Amino acid sequence: MAAELAMQGVSLRFGGIEVLQEVSFTVEPGQIFGLVGPNGAGKTSLFNCISGHYKPTAGTVSIDGTPVQGARPATLARHGLARTFQQPALQLQETVLENVLLGAHTQLPGGPLEWAVRTRRTKRAEERFRVEALDLLERNGLAWAAHLPADELSHGLHKGVELCRALLMKPRLLLLDEPAAGLPHAEVEHLIAAVRRLRAEDDITVVIVEHNMGLIAALTDRVVVLDHGRKLMEGTAAEAQSDPRVIEAYIGKDAADDVA
Amino acid sequence: MASVPSPRQRSWVRWAGPLLLVVVLAVLPLVFPESVNEIIARIGVFAVAVLGLNLVMGYTGQVSLGQIFFLGLGAYVTAYGVSNDWNIVVVFVLACTIPAVVGLLVALAAARLGGLAIAMVTVALPIVGVPLAKRLSDYTGGSQGLSARFGDAPEGTGLYDDQWRLYLVLAIGGAVFLLTRNLVRGKYGRVFAIVKKNENVASSVGISPYRYKVLAFTLASLIGGVSGFLYMLVIQYTSPETMSFGHSIQLLAAMVIGGAGSILGSILGGAYYVLVPQLTNLVDPSLTALLQGATLLVVLFVLPGGLASLARPLGRGRRSSHDRRGPTPPITPSATTGSGTAAETPETERQGHP
Repeated sequence: MAAELAMQGVSLRFGGIEVLQEVSFTVEPGQIFGLVGPNGAGKTSLFNCISGHYKPTAGTVSIDGTPVQGARPATLARHGLARTFQQPALQLQETVLENVLLGAHTQLPGGPLEWAVRTRRTKRAEERFRVEALDLLERNGLAWAAHLPADELSHGLHKGVELCRALLMKPRLLLLDEPAAGLPHAEVEHLIAAVRRLRAEDDITVVIVEHNMGLIAALTDRVVVLDHGRKLMEGTAAEAQSDPRVIEAYIGKDAADDVA
Repeated sequence: MASVPSPRQRSWVRWAGPLLLVVVLAVLPLVFPESVNEIIARIGVFAVAVLGLNLVMGYTGQVSLGQIFFLGLGAYVTAYGVSNDWNIVVVFVLACTIPAVVGLLVALAAARLGGLAIAMVTVALPIVGVPLAKRLSDYTGGSQGLSARFGDAPEGTGLYDDQWRLYLVLAIGGAVFLLTRNLVRGKYGRVFAIVKKNENVASSVGISPYRYKVLAFTLASLIGGVSGFLYMLVIQYTSPETMSFGHSIQLLAAMVIGGAGSILGSILGGAYYVLVPQLTNLVDPSLTALLQGATLLVVLFVLPGGLASLARPLGRGRRSSHDRRGPTPPITPSATTGSGTAAETPETERQGHP
């Protein structure tokens, strides 16, 4: 079942730099939630605080009411959190299918000895997740690429493969870091369709960091706008787009005055 | 590479390669003279040692400069056990587990450090190991070292000792290679590869990089112990010099030249380790080190992926021809191993059955 995510006064500081200052918001279970803001606003840092890759200097991050700040990323992943990265890091020599199968790691049974002697249990589990991974690739329009090495695919398709890898983890909370960055328009459309289908078919909460306002407007129930590490506003995507503070943050005060 | 053959692939194709390999390896010891059998057995010993190094370094990306220490430890345990008339199976188990436990303890501390710090800790192993072996002379025989003879051919087999020993090396080494090959595919292969490539991604899918670095290092130490057992079986003598730092670096060079992160590369690495010093000695004994260095540089310039990468274009070609016909799975490591076997077969065919 979908997870609830709550940030309470989250601050992050690297030496003298305040990356995040007292950011608070709540993502309801099953929501698609947008995190927007200009470059350097702290969106990815906030993501890293949620996924456990950074530890917030202050504040709490809780999933379903349980504080998780400071937990290791691997622990969080085993409790239903999955994420993608801005720069997909795939095994380029391996096939797309092998890359997706990495997402099955925590669900595959057996220790090293069992896998070394290839017991029936490990072979069956591997086969079962192979089928599941192929099914996910199929649903995301990548079935044709399953047996190709990842380096034969474009950057945009790498993002799709990474999404499948995250989905194979069967997450309750999915964090997508700039899924549309660098994608041509047609692939952004694919992505929007994929995330919509996700919401329709799976019980999952999705948080998206994104610059592409079209994608944010098309998908999200609610957004938080960050600027210089502070929460600027919270509301719907439409409200954010018409908010003068947001326009100012994106294009600067003078330009915002010109627009007005 | 790490891909399980699909059921669509016909079973005889899958079994033909390995079967051929087994037959060739069963016949070879009967055909070759004693000196050649000994060289092959030595190659087997160091191929296993390189395989262990490959597991932690080639596959998991953790620089280990101390692999020879575990070979030495396994050899000493074997020598001590054999000279005290312990059951050989017990000796074998101890020769695996003692290095594995030592490796585990070292890794628990070293893997916390990450990066070059692991390399520095592993450098210390042979550097500490050599004087330690000299000091603990009650167990190690000090600078003189230990001799132990075991693994003579049982009566009734009709085999010479060198043939019997080579069979033992092939059986034990073959089992280690088979188990390792299985391990580096599937779940653990993916884990080791992603820990090498990107620890953030690894942890984001629920993998604790620390845990699997420790695992890889422990298994490498265990395999090192097995190679130490085989070392005593074949060479029958060990001294502190066995685990000198220079040998550890040569083992590393052998892994790189054979092919990092490759099963076939480990075998080729073992062959390099044994054969190249002998060949350079034949050319000019005073230039041995220089010629070895030159070989290393040439291989690195021409084949950065090591000798094993020579077999890969074959696999690639095979895969793309499959793709044109339909969705058949890509290259499997057995394809590359197969081509290695194919290169060996003409020799046996030339020699015929004795």
